[in-house]
Amino acid sequence: MAHVVVENLSKIYERGKVRALWNVNFSVEKGEFLVLIGLSGSGKSTLLRCINRLVEPTSGRVFLNGLELTRLSPRAMRRVRRRIGMIFQQFNLVKRATVLQNVLAGRLGYTSTLPSLLGWFPKRDIQRAKECLERVGLLDKMYVRADQLSGGQQQRVGIARALMQEPELLLADEPVSALDPATSHSVMQYIEQINKEDGVTVIASLHFLSLARRYGQRILALRAGEVVFDGPPEAIDDRKFKEIYGEEAEEVEIR
Amino acid sequence: MKLLRARALAFLLDLLVWAYLLYSGFTLYYLSALWSPWRPEEKLVWPALSPWAWAVVLVGLGEAVLLTQAFGPSLGQRLMGVHLVAEDGAPPKLAARLAYFGFSHLALATLGLGSVLHPQRPWHERWAGVRLEPLPPPSSAVRRPPWYRTAYGLTALLVALATLAVGWRLTEVDLRRLVYDASKSLRIWYGLIGPDFRYLLAPDPRIKLSLVDGLVQSLYMALLATVAGTVAAFPLSFLGARNVAARHPVGWAIYALTRGFFNVVRSVETVFWAAIFAIWLGWGPFAGATALFVHTVAALGKLFSEQVEHIDPGPVEAVTATGANLLQVVRYAVVPQVLPQYLAFAIYRWDINLRMAVVVALVGGGGIGRHLFEYKDDLRWSLVGAVILLFMLTVWVMDYLSGWIREKIV
Ligand SMILES: Nc1ncnc2c1ncn2[C@@H]1O[C@H](COP(=O)(O)OP(=O)(O)O)[C@@H](O)[C@H]1O
Ligand SMILES: [Mg+2]
Repeated sequence: MAHVVVENLSKIYERGKVRALWNVNFSVEKGEFLVLIGLSGSGKSTLLRCINRLVEPTSGRVFLNGLELTRLSPRAMRRVRRRIGMIFQQFNLVKRATVLQNVLAGRLGYTSTLPSLLGWFPKRDIQRAKECLERVGLLDKMYVRADQLSGGQQQRVGIARALMQEPELLLADEPVSALDPATSHSVMQYIEQINKEDGVTVIASLHFLSLARRYGQRILALRAGEVVFDGPPEAIDDRKFKEIYGEEAEEVEIR
Repeated sequence: MKLLRARALAFLLDLLVWAYLLYSGFTLYYLSALWSPWRPEEKLVWPALSPWAWAVVLVGLGEAVLLTQAFGPSLGQRLMGVHLVAEDGAPPKLAARLAYFGFSHLALATLGLGSVLHPQRPWHERWAGVRLEPLPPPSSAVRRPPWYRTAYGLTALLVALATLAVGWRLTEVDLRRLVYDASKSLRIWYGLIGPDFRYLLAPDPRIKLSLVDGLVQSLYMALLATVAGTVAAFPLSFLGARNVAARHPVGWAIYALTRGFFNVVRSVETVFWAAIFAIWLGWGPFAGATALFVHTVAALGKLFSEQVEHIDPGPVEAVTATGANLLQVVRYAVVPQVLPQYLAFAIYRWDINLRMAVVVALVGGGGIGRHLFEYKDDLRWSLVGAVILLFMLTVWVMDYLSGWIREKIV
């Protein structure tokens, strides 16, 4: 049984009447690293958000370990979200809060409401936060305010926050688009490490095909909300490339 | 459809403009001719025009509207963003405008039937050889005439002048009195220069409180109302924020109710609330503080809610994605983003409440305002002077303090 299964997924935004996703079908095996590519506006963010239902799909079904997520009550969905980490293009940290507080927020799904409202976390969660920060090399920044960090460091805090969830699935929405090439690779390597060492399934959207080729085991390409390619990176030839990105596009290398 | 709406609304707007000018004219005429503030026994009576005279006035009104529209753009046409052009798109010639003016009487007589049947170009426009078009954007190459050479500019000027003139008369502005009667206020200025601090510490035998007692009472009224108001507004502000509360129909209802509460309560001034609570709770500082509190909750609630609506949605999304519930999302993604502004607003509100704490005494709210209004009623100006000086000093100190604190937190 595949880890994640997406069946006939469609999303139409009422506001603007945009058909963001149209009849998307694919499945991801446990431990796979799937990369989403496509022009901006092709529906990558929408697809990722339909999986953890930050965006409510218009129709279609999403399964995780055979459990149909699209049928769950909000409460049950919250329980499932605990095991789905997510990192974002804009990092989405609380800028005024410390790094530690941001990382601990990854644990909220496991913490009962009242203690967490008072800012109280179990000792082992704080210990775990330190371990996660150690993993992304930011232990010394624990008490620094998030807005004091560089872009690459902020994204690593985002990764640590996702790690706190002990995820089985990691969704990454253009995790390196706001970063320069060198930093991009360092951040991508942390994600790759989580995929390889912890066996976490990763679905990441990436802006550059060269990054997708370098990190993806499999590539899924969207164009105007429809899947136009699903296969290994090597199978994207010049013709396919033009089909995904349009006739005028040129492949740019990012090293 | 768009043009039909523009045509109808432009007509209504112009009708309104001319009716307003007519009303202003009448008001000015009767204010100056028959009634003046110095002869108040003669009441302001509206004219009893004969039906004939009314008919003439109403027809004149209609003609004025049609005329400004034909030689427009009129104010209504300008506001709706349309103007008349000839067949070739140029401004219509005089003859075409006159023809349009004539034919529009027919349009008016048929109650705009032509416009309904042919919204793009009704009969009277066709016969006159003109048509209604959207105004070109200001950036386009066509140079617009200066405002004082357009019908809408001149009408707007008339409206402004009429408003000023009527306002001047109705508020009984009289510059002569400002100068000649200045000596009447001398006693107050003397009182301020030579304040009488005899009740500074000793209690006033009638009020039973000294000035300092009253001042301390006012300070605590303001402090209690501000703190309690902030605490109460805090949870309400999330219910009144669209991005937090209005996520489903029930939440939307809560959001609308909360916002409605803020707006209604806020629009009733603190003094009115004080009058209500002075009867409800009896005269005294409790009534005053409650009034301050109620208005503070609503005013801060609205300001807070708007802050919540302007936060960065990214952290909310991220914390939601971890499986946190709504309360946790608010606590970890919303509160840290708004807390500094909340504090700044609360301190700003403290400045307002301190001043309002004096005013509420006017209707029985307690505090140092009571001294102020009693001494004023007794015309004991040097005692009034003492109250004002003491209060000014306090306000200075407090403004300085709160400004300093605000700087520290934001
Ligand atoms: N909240 C929204 N409301 C309306 N339209 C949206 C919304 N979010 C995205 N869209 C539209 O849906 C399409 C897909 O957007 P998105 O999923 O963000 O694409 P990508 O991440 O590939 O750039 C775009 O046309 C976008 O304008
Ligand atoms: Mg996107």
